[in-house]
Amino acid sequence: MRRIFAQTRKELTQIVRDWRTLALALVLPVVLLLLMSTAISLTVNDLPIVVQDFDDSSASHDFIDSVRASITLHVVSWPVNKTAEEALASNVARAVMIIPVHFGRDMARGTNSPVQLLVDASDANTAKLVSGYANQIASAYNQQTAGGMEAGPVKAAIRLWYNPGLSSKKFYGPGVFVLGLSMFPPLLAALAMAKEGEQKTILQVYVSSISAHEFLLGKIIAFMAVALAECLVMSSLLFTYFGLSFAGDPTPFLIATILYAFCVASFGTMVGVTIPNQAAALQAVALGGFLLVFLLSGLMFPIENIPAGLRWISNFIWGRYYIEIVRDALLQGGGWPAVWFKVLIVGTIGAIFYGIGWRGMRRMQVKA
Amino acid sequence: MRKLLNDLFNHRIRALIKKEFNQIRRDRRLAISLILPPVVQLTLFGFALSAAVTNVRLGVVDDSRSPESRELIATLTESKSFRLAGYYFSVDQLGAAVSRGNVDAGIVVPYDYAKDLARERPTTVQFLLNAMNANTATISKAYAQGVIRSYNNGLRNQGIHPRIEPVAGSDLSRRGQVQLRPAFLYNPGLVDSWFIVTGVFGLLLILNSSLVSSAAMVREREAGTIEQLLMSPATTSEIIIAKITPLFFLLCMMMLVAIGVLKLAFGVPFHGNVLFLLFGGSLCILSGISIGTVIATFSKSAQQAQLTSFFINPPLSSLSGALNPIEAMPKWLQPLTVLNPIHHFATIVRGSTLKGSGFMDLWPNFLGLLLFTIVLVSLSIWRFRKQLS
Repeated sequence: MRRIFAQTRKELTQIVRDWRTLALALVLPVVLLLLMSTAISLTVNDLPIVVQDFDDSSASHDFIDSVRASITLHVVSWPVNKTAEEALASNVARAVMIIPVHFGRDMARGTNSPVQLLVDASDANTAKLVSGYANQIASAYNQQTAGGMEAGPVKAAIRLWYNPGLSSKKFYGPGVFVLGLSMFPPLLAALAMAKEGEQKTILQVYVSSISAHEFLLGKIIAFMAVALAECLVMSSLLFTYFGLSFAGDPTPFLIATILYAFCVASFGTMVGVTIPNQAAALQAVALGGFLLVFLLSGLMFPIENIPAGLRWISNFIWGRYYIEIVRDALLQGGGWPAVWFKVLIVGTIGAIFYGIGWRGMRRMQVKA
Repeated sequence: MRKLLNDLFNHRIRALIKKEFNQIRRDRRLAISLILPPVVQLTLFGFALSAAVTNVRLGVVDDSRSPESRELIATLTESKSFRLAGYYFSVDQLGAAVSRGNVDAGIVVPYDYAKDLARERPTTVQFLLNAMNANTATISKAYAQGVIRSYNNGLRNQGIHPRIEPVAGSDLSRRGQVQLRPAFLYNPGLVDSWFIVTGVFGLLLILNSSLVSSAAMVREREAGTIEQLLMSPATTSEIIIAKITPLFFLLCMMMLVAIGVLKLAFGVPFHGNVLFLLFGGSLCILSGISIGTVIATFSKSAQQAQLTSFFINPPLSSLSGALNPIEAMPKWLQPLTVLNPIHHFATIVRGSTLKGSGFMDLWPNFLGLLLFTIVLVSLSIWRFRKQLS
């Protein structure tokens, strides 16, 4: 036991000495959290739209006013002598709305008037949002002019649960929190472990009386401490700046966080043991910790969108289960009944990583 | 011109370039790491990052149990956006299913739904959406409204519920309706991956060229051979040019491979001029190389250089509008994209492939990229020189 903590202390001392690693461990996650959760949101405001009014009647002005009143669309001016496509090609606008001549006359006569909406679909997601918003504006305008009588017989009362303000900060905040935890602690752990192999200080460990379990546990506990410190810093940001709070029972979150810290620390150590080369270990962690967790764990986009050929991989991605636990604790509040087996899986994957790391270390003999 | 070229590529530079080429040729890992990861990353990103909203799992509470209510549910679930995930007997059960995450959305049809419809009275169905993911929620909300709107139109046209048409005189009071006809230009099939891969392309160029060049610049110092280079009659600019040239060629190869992946694996259409793409790409690579060189001048080992690039690359890529619309960024950050090479290159890629824009539309981006490259290259040469002296 004493040997484990001695190893831990040595590891922590090494981290604190190098300002670059310390900054990587504590400052960068916070910067990343602030940056990505404000930048990667997909909910958009003030999408520029050009309106070409060929009618210039009071009815068309009325309709344009209702477009102008929306938060999501932002009407920009466009010279009359230029075509609509030019506005899209030069990225001035995301969409062009074309109101035909006789719009006002048609409306007054009671016939329907077609209004064209050209959408720049090179960004398919935003294009869908733009056309959805424009449709809502048009139907609201129709209802208003028809005095409410023309509203269809079936109305949908839509309730948004768990995030009624549709704030994407609340969705991406926990996601980036998990990304930070899955990236930096294993990175440091892998570098520290690979460095021992690269600089051959591992030989000193071999000749000492420390056992493989003690050595690995000492390292892992040190990087668990780093992960938990990181978690503390980032979660305080989540609770203040992001306005999140525990939606239900916090115990699954707390236990899962400790297990996840163990999981990522063992992942890094395992990589360091198997690849005793700092540059290669760094690449491996960047692939496992960043790319896989970022892409295949439902952090940004739902897992169901991944084609089935790749989707099965996400069942093995440790970050996926932890993200679900964190989101449940902070947004949904399902508690133990909803997440108990995910907590179990996080622990199991951590144990597997530890097992593989131990297999590489157990003989305490020189390789590489 | 010829004299200038001769001056620029005199025998010293040629010898140095040859040395660099030899070094790279011997390092097979570098060549592999330049070709393989970009292909893997492009395909992974393109296939895995899709903001499309399909197969939202829909739970149903049908208190009406009538042909009309079943028809409404069938209309909802026959679209690709919603998938029937189960029937529940009470709203509480549905609520529990949403909170467990078994379903993403729920619809509650009231018991007097069919009666109200028959009586021509407006009726309300409740729609629950798990709005944790704001983007998915916004889009599925629009879907649900669209489905219900077309369902309403169907009801009216069916004539099952005849309207009593008002007499001719009051017909004038009825206003016409605005019919919005959306047309999706440049990507009528709304293929999500086109936006993602064209953005990731720029990220890859900057990321890889900065990593590779910082490693190459620092290696000489790590091995202590930099003194030997300095002893030689070559000037610092010559050393730098010789170091940059082979990397530039290698990275251009990578760019061509990536363009092949765009075209073959994702079917991105090339409507515009491919020359724009190649020119923009080479500028992008140059600015990436110079970012790497600047990083290298601040670090003592390859290790430190790589760690430092962790501080520079994430902000650069997440604030570029390459993977997400610029309008989604905070207002005060939006003007800063002018300083971001990835932003300019993403605009050029999308312009010259999807949109088929001409030079008239893209020149500001070329100018931005060019200025950025010139400033960075001279900054890196200045830093390098200062460090050597």
